[in-house]
Amino acid sequence: MTKYNIWFFSSVLIASIVALPIITVFFSFFYETSNYFIILKNTFLLDYIFNSIVILFFVILITFFLGVLSAYLVSFYEFPLSNFFSWALILAFAVPGYIYAFSIIAFFENYGTAFSLMTYFFGESNYNLIIPKIDGIIGAILAISFSLFPYVYVLTRASFHYQSNNYIEVGKNLGLSSKKTFFKIILPSARPAIIAGLALVSMECLSDFGTVSFFSVNTLTTGIYNSWLSFDDLNTANQISFILLLFILFIFSIEIYSRKEARYHQPGRGYKPITKIKLYGKNAVLPIIICSVILFLSFLFPVSQMIYWTIKFPKYYQDINILNININTLILVSLASVSIVTISLFINYGSRISKSKILNYLTNFSISGYAIPGVILAVAFITFFSNLSDFFSDNFSLKSTKGIFIGSVLGLILAYFIRFFSLSFNGIKSSYEKINNSIDESAYLLGYSKIKTFLTIHIPYLRTNIILIMLLISLEVIKELPITLILRPFNFETFATQAYIYASQDLLEAAALPSLFLIFWSTILILLSSRYILSKKN
Amino acid sequence: MVENFFEIQNGYFTASEKNKVNDVNLVIENQGEIVSLLGPSGIGKTTILRTIAGLQKLSKGKIKLGKRFLASDDIHIEPEKRNVALSFQDNSLFPNYKIIDNINFGVKRTNGNSSSINVNEIIELLRIEPILKKYPHQISAGEAQRVSLARSLMSKPDLLLLDEPFSNIDQSLKDEIQVSVKKLLKRINLTTIIVTHDSYEAFSMADKCGIILGQELKQYDIPYNVHHEPNSIAVANFLNKGIFIDVQVVDSECAVHRLRHDELGEIRGKLSNNFPSGAKVKLLLQPEDLIHDDQSKLKLEVVDRKFKGTNFIYTLKTKKGEHLPVFVHSHHIHQHEKSEQFGVKSPIYIDHLVCF
Repeated sequence: MTKYNIWFFSSVLIASIVALPIITVFFSFFYETSNYFIILKNTFLLDYIFNSIVILFFVILITFFLGVLSAYLVSFYEFPLSNFFSWALILAFAVPGYIYAFSIIAFFENYGTAFSLMTYFFGESNYNLIIPKIDGIIGAILAISFSLFPYVYVLTRASFHYQSNNYIEVGKNLGLSSKKTFFKIILPSARPAIIAGLALVSMECLSDFGTVSFFSVNTLTTGIYNSWLSFDDLNTANQISFILLLFILFIFSIEIYSRKEARYHQPGRGYKPITKIKLYGKNAVLPIIICSVILFLSFLFPVSQMIYWTIKFPKYYQDINILNININTLILVSLASVSIVTISLFINYGSRISKSKILNYLTNFSISGYAIPGVILAVAFITFFSNLSDFFSDNFSLKSTKGIFIGSVLGLILAYFIRFFSLSFNGIKSSYEKINNSIDESAYLLGYSKIKTFLTIHIPYLRTNIILIMLLISLEVIKELPITLILRPFNFETFATQAYIYASQDLLEAAALPSLFLIFWSTILILLSSRYILSKKN
Repeated sequence: MVENFFEIQNGYFTASEKNKVNDVNLVIENQGEIVSLLGPSGIGKTTILRTIAGLQKLSKGKIKLGKRFLASDDIHIEPEKRNVALSFQDNSLFPNYKIIDNINFGVKRTNGNSSSINVNEIIELLRIEPILKKYPHQISAGEAQRVSLARSLMSKPDLLLLDEPFSNIDQSLKDEIQVSVKKLLKRINLTTIIVTHDSYEAFSMADKCGIILGQELKQYDIPYNVHHEPNSIAVANFLNKGIFIDVQVVDSECAVHRLRHDELGEIRGKLSNNFPSGAKVKLLLQPEDLIHDDQSKLKLEVVDRKFKGTNFIYTLKTKKGEHLPVFVHSHHIHQHEKSEQFGVKSPIYIDHLVCF
């Protein structure tokens, strides 16, 4: 029987807040739209879908190749720098796709960095003709792939890492060669992890807004954004969102399914870590080269490009109030991480002690938030609160309440909450589940009240995890572009929005400084939480 | 009327549809008594302990500790207010505290039983000294059980509940720890209920022993009686002490009762239940009841022999096809192979004639 207590009502509240965007998008399907949607349907809509699918296809291909190859090398072989590579490869997480996109353009454009380098080494000539123009859809595919491959890398590596040596030994004992062992035992057993990684990549890829918009590739996300910004047509935006959501939900269900399957592949009691094969001299050269190239392309290349430009164009230092942006970022990061983690702890605790099934369903429902692309979330958010405000002013003749949530820090934090609640909730849950229920019961029997048990047993146990989750939320908030861009208060800039605004005004040189700051803070956060990211089993 | 120290009146304990125990009546008259509950796995023994501790609700009936009702139809005292300690079977140590801190968690309770008990003494008695500075994940399952027991003892409860407390402890250490724990419990006069599926443990630790079978408390008596005078075929079968053979009561009037078996002949002893002469009954025959005697004229065929260390157990077959177990001391100089004839001393004399 469900008890209608505080836990129940707060879970219902959280679930409905997180479900806001989905519900809004769904209902907007039944609303009238302007002619724009008809025009769009007859002209560009198929293009949007086609481009999204093409980008998705190649991104999956490239991230699979990069992620599995690098994970394989660092998991099964020991070579000079292999330990360094095993954590350094996740640094690519610090470079969002859109910043990678700036670097590509900066490097390959006419008279860009490639041109300067060639002039420096080979003397003056018109190299513009021979330098390939990486632009448009190809640029978007490369930028997105290099910024997302660590998802595949991290999950595959964890799966390889936790794979019991027993299987490999049994394989050898049954007479399989190393190659056969890899293809018949190792790879199949890592399959759920690889699929989960690719599913995350797919969701992020379909959600990407900054990169495709910078390269002027029309996809579903830019379609949503343009309908809102250029045509001020929220319903059309929401109807395109609906199409995109169908894709996302399909991938989301693949992801959930493969995660479930991945659980069966967790090591049992007889787990023995893999004995790595040691590579020396000549044999070590190829893996070192492969890992170095991936690290260079995914992280060092965009970082050095941004450093180079920051130094080359000092005149923008005065234009950008970088201190202010740092403070803005700090405000957002601390408000978001503290509030999201506090609420996740609260809800986790509630579902732990009340043990109600309905509560479980509700919380499971709330965690679907992370599947919803930032653009959809932001547009749906505006739609919902505009309608709400109109409703209140029509019926109760109140003044417009739009300003409370749209274009305010409060609204921004609420939107981050919808997007990142699942990250935080699941992170705390996985650690909470490790505290056996009989531990709580022992504490009660020793005379500890529920709240005292929470404070003296749970909180100290979860402390490290809470800090890590806060770091991860901070990382996400710093990198987040579309939600911040659409919902931020007037003249309130973060590194991401400042860089994007300069870049979209063709002032790429000016975008370098905020981009560099963004990468700098992200790198620090990744280094602080690397142990956690790398140990993630799922 | 003197008040019982602890009492369950018509208690119904339910964890799930299958896992429940109905209509339990159990009394612990005096403080400091040790009671064991014995039964197969999954029968609901743990449910009873959890309900007494307050972690689960009593479905029906009453539980009383001293003058206070812990649970009844309209009372449910929260676990933290019962002053009842439960030592769990699985690991329930606080993972982020060292062993010594885990034990000290118990000490903080102030309103408990005032008997003198000292941390160092318990640590020594349970052999926890070497692991005090370790964390729970660094110790073995047996060590964790001992720590959990120490923590419960330190909380100075009015009633201690132990759920399979020695199940993970090495056999070599087990007997010794059982003896010292029992001594300690007796010295500090701590009333204890132990749940176990090991009959030796149940018999050696407890003043009284309850047998739980088929969703009810079948027998509740001193261990000697439970062993020698099981009150039903189910209890005897569960304790797995022997087999039942068909006999006829010849004389139930005299001081020595007499039964008759077609092949074994006359069996003498004292009937635990009353039957009229001439009645056909089933007699419980335990391995220690028959005595080997090479000179005897009563011979049976050996069908199996098991070496158990201190003794052999021979299985003998009657012409009717009954398989009778017989203990023989393992220093016995000659051994009988299968299908050889084995002499049994007759007439047979059995102290307790358990018949149904």
